[in-house]
Amino acid sequence: MAAPALYRLFRSRSAELVSRSMAALFGGYLLAFGFTAFFSVYLPFSRPNRVVTASLLCFAVWVAAAIYAFAARSPTRAWLVLVITTAVAYSAAYLPTEWRLRP
Amino acid sequence: MKLRQAMTGLHIWGGLLPSWLLFVIIFTGTLACFDKELERWMRPALHVPASETVMGTDAISTWLGDNISAPLHAYWMHGPTDRAPYWQLGWEEDATGVRGKAAFDPANGQRLADTLGGEFFFTLHYNLHAGQLGMYIVGLAGMFMLTALVSGIIIHRRIFKDFFTLRPNANGQRAWLDAHNLFGVIGLPFHLVLAYTGVAVFVASYMPAGALVAYNGDPMAFYSEVQGGYHRNELHQPPGTPVSIDGLIEDARQHWQTSDIGWVIVEHPHDASSIVSVRRLDPSRIGSPQDALSYDAFTGELLNQQQAPSAYRAYIWLVGLHMAQFGGQIVRVLYSLLGLAGCMMLVAGNNVWLRKRTKRQSPGLTLVRALNTAVFFGLPIASLALLWGNRFIPSELTSRTTAEAWSFAGAWLLVTLFALLTHRQPTRQTRTLFAVLGLLGLGLPLVNYLTTTDGHLLATINHAPMLAAVDLVMLLTGGLCSWRAVKASSPMADKGIAGGQDVDQELAG
Repeated sequence: MAAPALYRLFRSRSAELVSRSMAALFGGYLLAFGFTAFFSVYLPFSRPNRVVTASLLCFAVWVAAAIYAFAARSPTRAWLVLVITTAVAYSAAYLPTEWRLRP
Repeated sequence: MKLRQAMTGLHIWGGLLPSWLLFVIIFTGTLACFDKELERWMRPALHVPASETVMGTDAISTWLGDNISAPLHAYWMHGPTDRAPYWQLGWEEDATGVRGKAAFDPANGQRLADTLGGEFFFTLHYNLHAGQLGMYIVGLAGMFMLTALVSGIIIHRRIFKDFFTLRPNANGQRAWLDAHNLFGVIGLPFHLVLAYTGVAVFVASYMPAGALVAYNGDPMAFYSEVQGGYHRNELHQPPGTPVSIDGLIEDARQHWQTSDIGWVIVEHPHDASSIVSVRRLDPSRIGSPQDALSYDAFTGELLNQQQAPSAYRAYIWLVGLHMAQFGGQIVRVLYSLLGLAGCMMLVAGNNVWLRKRTKRQSPGLTLVRALNTAVFFGLPIASLALLWGNRFIPSELTSRTTAEAWSFAGAWLLVTLFALLTHRQPTRQTRTLFAVLGLLGLGLPLVNYLTTTDGHLLATINHAPMLAAVDLVMLLTGGLCSWRAVKASSPMADKGIAGGQDVDQELAG
């Protein structure tokens, strides 16, 4: 009894809208965060130039992610793409400690 | 087709929800283009032609020593300029972090009466007078604006053709949509650049990811390396005898071969580690020069010249593009006109939303209408009320800035109350509020004439054109609003409340 009702709520238009909005806001910020971390480490410049360049571009990434969250085929898909890309980018930036701290 | 539909929803709701906040930000930003002119207007002692400057930084340091007993973390000073012909001083106490500020007449060294000044609008623009939290809210509103602009471009297929389309006599919704498109497209590059550079100003707070991975989250290491500046930690030893800061400024002038000096900053003056930094002022450039000179406060030895990395100079260039302190008044006039276009884009956009839903009696109509009236009329009326308050609140009053703030907040509250009480008679409401705007605008130059001896239009038109311009803009605004109040009494205003179907199709693509 409860399961189909919950399922209907989950698949309803308003739930989809809330999910897309959250993906645009939080998922978008996450992606911008991962992007900034990644390019703060991998751009071929000196450390301050890497960080400032990557940080200044992050808002464009956020806007693109927000647009994508509403353009994606489904909200679940949008969440998956945003979270997985962020996780990969951030891990690649954070794990090589010596490399990310190089001057 | 599907993409455009999704973007339409995003544009309509992502635009409507932050629109009132964005109106506050864009409108106060527009006023803040002329913050220094408004500041001078609000300080009648500065209305006389600028005379010889007798006061220097040493006199200010002495004033600070005599009047502020708590040990200071730092204090900063800025000398008189053409636009701001007075000394500015700010300080931060060491133990409490409490900040204070004061302004001095350069001709006699007297402290000027407190006023919120033009800076009130500037602060409202970037943090809503709500500190850190306000700064984040404004940043988020900026992101909404960027997203609304981009989704607006995507849904607008005929962006070029529609730019030349204005049907003011068409039905209400059609006319408002044309106006929304016109003001949006006319200022599109401006809106995009200003929204982007606006959020970029506080990028270090909004996006800490870079500092987190590349500097292990150490903010001091991050700031000092990125800015290429100089910092000396406190030694916790008693200070020596400070050298003359005016002498250091003279040295800096020789160093740069220029007479234009910007902010002078003294860090922990009560400690042996104290340093004096002198910054260069160059309004001919978009990004201010990042080559500050740091001196030992007790020996006067030049310790360091700032060498900012190129990306930081690019950041400063973006900030400069936003702040409009370059290129003279023509740049600020253009910025403010385009800022007004941004305000009109919001007003027109919200009216499209309303007109489209009035016939269907959608939920939320009353709320949106009330917010439109309370904000789109409330803020301009409150801003004028602040200027009125400035002229009527006696300069001897100790809590003068608080009284000024209340004239602003009180006027806004009254308009909000009025909006709620009269929401059933929209035509009368609009007419009354335009009449109030008209009276406040037209009355201000008159009040100025009656309350100041050197600051009124007839006195300033020759020697201080920018002061006279404040009065002239008031006359123009007041005149336009009065004309609108009279004109709105004709039945024209409510024509076409029943929106046309064609626009729904247009937006749905």
